[in-house]
Amino acid sequence: MSSWWTIAIKDLRLLWRDKLGLFWVLGFPLLMALLFGAIFSGGDGQASALPVAVVDQDGSKASADFLKTLQDSAALKVTLLPDAEVARNQVRQGQQVACITILKGYGKSNQLFSGGEPPVRVGVDPARRAEAAYLQGILTQQMFQQMFTRYTDSSQLRSLLGDSLSEIERSSDLSSTDKQIFRTFFGALQQFTDEVNTGNPQRSASEWQPEMVKVEEISLSREAQLRPRSSFEITFPQAVLWGLMGCAAGFGVGLVQERRMGTYQRLLVAPISRWAVIGGKGLACFLACIGVTLLLLLIGRLIFGVRCDDLPLLGVAVFSCGICFTGLTMLIAVSGKTEQAVAGVGWAVLLVMGMFGGAMVPLFFMPGWMQNLSQFSLVNWGIVALEGAIWRGFSWGEMVWPVTVLLLSGLISMSVGVTVLQHRKG
Amino acid sequence: MVRRIEVRELRKSFGAQTAVAGVSFEVSAGEIFGLLGPNGAGKSTTMHILVGLFPADGGSVALVGQHDPTQAEVRRQIGWVPQALAIYDELTAEQNLQFFGRLYGLNGRRLQDRINWALDFAGLNDRRRSLVAHFSGGMKRRLNLVAALLHQPQILLLDEPTVGVDPQSRNFIFQNIEQLRAGGCAILYTTHYMEEVERLCARAAVMDRGRVLAMDRVAELCRQHGGETALEVEVTHRPEEVAALGGQWQEDRLIMAVADPVAKLQELARAGVQYKSLKVRPPDLEAVFLNLTGRSLRDE
Ligand SMILES: Nc1ncnc2c1ncn2[C@@H]1O[C@H](COP(=O)(O)OP(=O)(O)OP(=O)(O)O)[C@@H](O)[C@H]1O
Ligand SMILES: [Mg+2]
Repeated sequence: MSSWWTIAIKDLRLLWRDKLGLFWVLGFPLLMALLFGAIFSGGDGQASALPVAVVDQDGSKASADFLKTLQDSAALKVTLLPDAEVARNQVRQGQQVACITILKGYGKSNQLFSGGEPPVRVGVDPARRAEAAYLQGILTQQMFQQMFTRYTDSSQLRSLLGDSLSEIERSSDLSSTDKQIFRTFFGALQQFTDEVNTGNPQRSASEWQPEMVKVEEISLSREAQLRPRSSFEITFPQAVLWGLMGCAAGFGVGLVQERRMGTYQRLLVAPISRWAVIGGKGLACFLACIGVTLLLLLIGRLIFGVRCDDLPLLGVAVFSCGICFTGLTMLIAVSGKTEQAVAGVGWAVLLVMGMFGGAMVPLFFMPGWMQNLSQFSLVNWGIVALEGAIWRGFSWGEMVWPVTVLLLSGLISMSVGVTVLQHRKG
Repeated sequence: MVRRIEVRELRKSFGAQTAVAGVSFEVSAGEIFGLLGPNGAGKSTTMHILVGLFPADGGSVALVGQHDPTQAEVRRQIGWVPQALAIYDELTAEQNLQFFGRLYGLNGRRLQDRINWALDFAGLNDRRRSLVAHFSGGMKRRLNLVAALLHQPQILLLDEPTVGVDPQSRNFIFQNIEQLRAGGCAILYTTHYMEEVERLCARAAVMDRGRVLAMDRVAELCRQHGGETALEVEVTHRPEEVAALGGQWQEDRLIMAVADPVAKLQELARAGVQYKSLKVRPPDLEAVFLNLTGRSLRDE
């Protein structure tokens, strides 16, 4: 075993001296993480908060409440503007991702039952459609939250029901039978809320309202946790995979290079087993993989707040990634006779895996067929395992599958590579 | 332990290419044996089989009395200096030696002592902390040599250890090798420089296209296969009769191959030839190779 370490330490020392190699395993991944992290976060320190303009044309208590929930949301950076035209222009100029207009009558409107215009209008920069979906999610969530407050406050509910009833009476496109049905329905509902309020003092609205909201809040806060807290939580796992790809290519080519220089032959004639020679090289690669991963995650953690809280789960993910890419290294090392051939084959395979595995563009930006293909990319499984530990909130059970894929493919490619190296003459 | 190298009827082909076709020789303790041959003669292939990098197709080798060079205890007795510069450019001289020393089980005080010895031996003590990448060709060669000597091997296999080295460094390496021979090592030395064999080796084999063409003491090789002595005379007066004496003229220089140069000179004097300088070149290994193969050792 001491000869394994001797060889591993030598290889790590050589990597350290090889500035270009170091760039590919550390510098480049870090650049990717920072660049894309910054691009997706909108460029300022407020990580991932979407800048939106809000115009309140209603000016009611309800619209003020809605405005407040938007302002309180960490996902949004709200600028209150007086005029819808100004807001639209700011979107066009790229200063805001979207403008949200709270239309007149928002406070009155009964969003579940009114058939007319939605009371909130959202205009989105077409170049940032990706964020639009995200924004829609946030808005829906906020509106539901507001509605829960409204419907659980019986006085508000009763006035709303009254409004609805008179609206139904006025309506011209409802037939008289329809009107009768709604009349009965709302009448019953009104009666029900009255009974809840007066007839059963123990179960007053003030008592069951928080209960309803509380249930919703718990599930909401869990939802919020299962989202990346910042774009860096997406780009740092990607960066780790870039680093691992750099390690696999670098060490794979390094082995061939040593054969060409003749130092590999010198190792082979030393009084150590061939196992030790190959094992030492594998150990060096594994340690480099782990080192690069930990260093990148540490930078992510300390500077960009990437969550590394579930250490055991993260440890398992990192270990499996290390084994997987050490195995790939061995396979790459025997994929050709010359350094050019190995570098060519190695990077070709790795880049395709990286592309389909979401190391360049996050998977959720890709069309469905591409996401299906990513099942065959080990880069994808590496990212899934890391994200599982960082923000996807994986349980141990959920971690089993990606980790199994990583370990198994690592061990298989390792045994193929090692077998070829063992039987190669000279 | 017998400090001895034995090679019997060694054969090795790479596909259709025959690299070694039945080579036999022996090297004893305290002897430097030369393997002289042009590019592609099969010298390195013979070495590679001896160190156990790949097995022979036929024949056998024995080092320190053992037939399997891949055994760890045999490997510990072998010092192989590869023809390629098999050292790490991005490590310092000292780090290179540390690494190779550790592979041979050296460590601690003893490793440090051996590294100091090796750096002195190679004349690299003042450059021990420099990266090998910044070394001259000769310095790299010397480091390549001593990297194989750290573990004090009894059998040395030196594959063209002086390629690309200036005469001063080369002399330095020769002295080192002679020192090792005096210490009792059995040394196999391959080269395509006949001067090196003449300088270092008591015995040598002339090898070409995988075969040993002749093997003997160097002086004996020259006597048997070197042909006649070459005599070159720069003539100032050239009488008519001289044409009868034979030889070739290059402007005013007469070049002739002769068995007895003294007798020939007397003959020239009798014919009335006057000359201002003369060169006598006794048969050398170059001539041996030329006579054995019809080709020059170098122009391959
Ligand atoms: N691994 C190999 N695969 C194929 N052919 C080889 C291999 N090694 C050597 N040869 C061939 O075997 C022959 C002998 O090569 P070898 O390297 O032993 O010659 P050499 O005497 O050491 O020459 P040089 O002075 O150039 O080093 C050459 O024709 C060479 O092309
Ligand atoms: Mg050779």
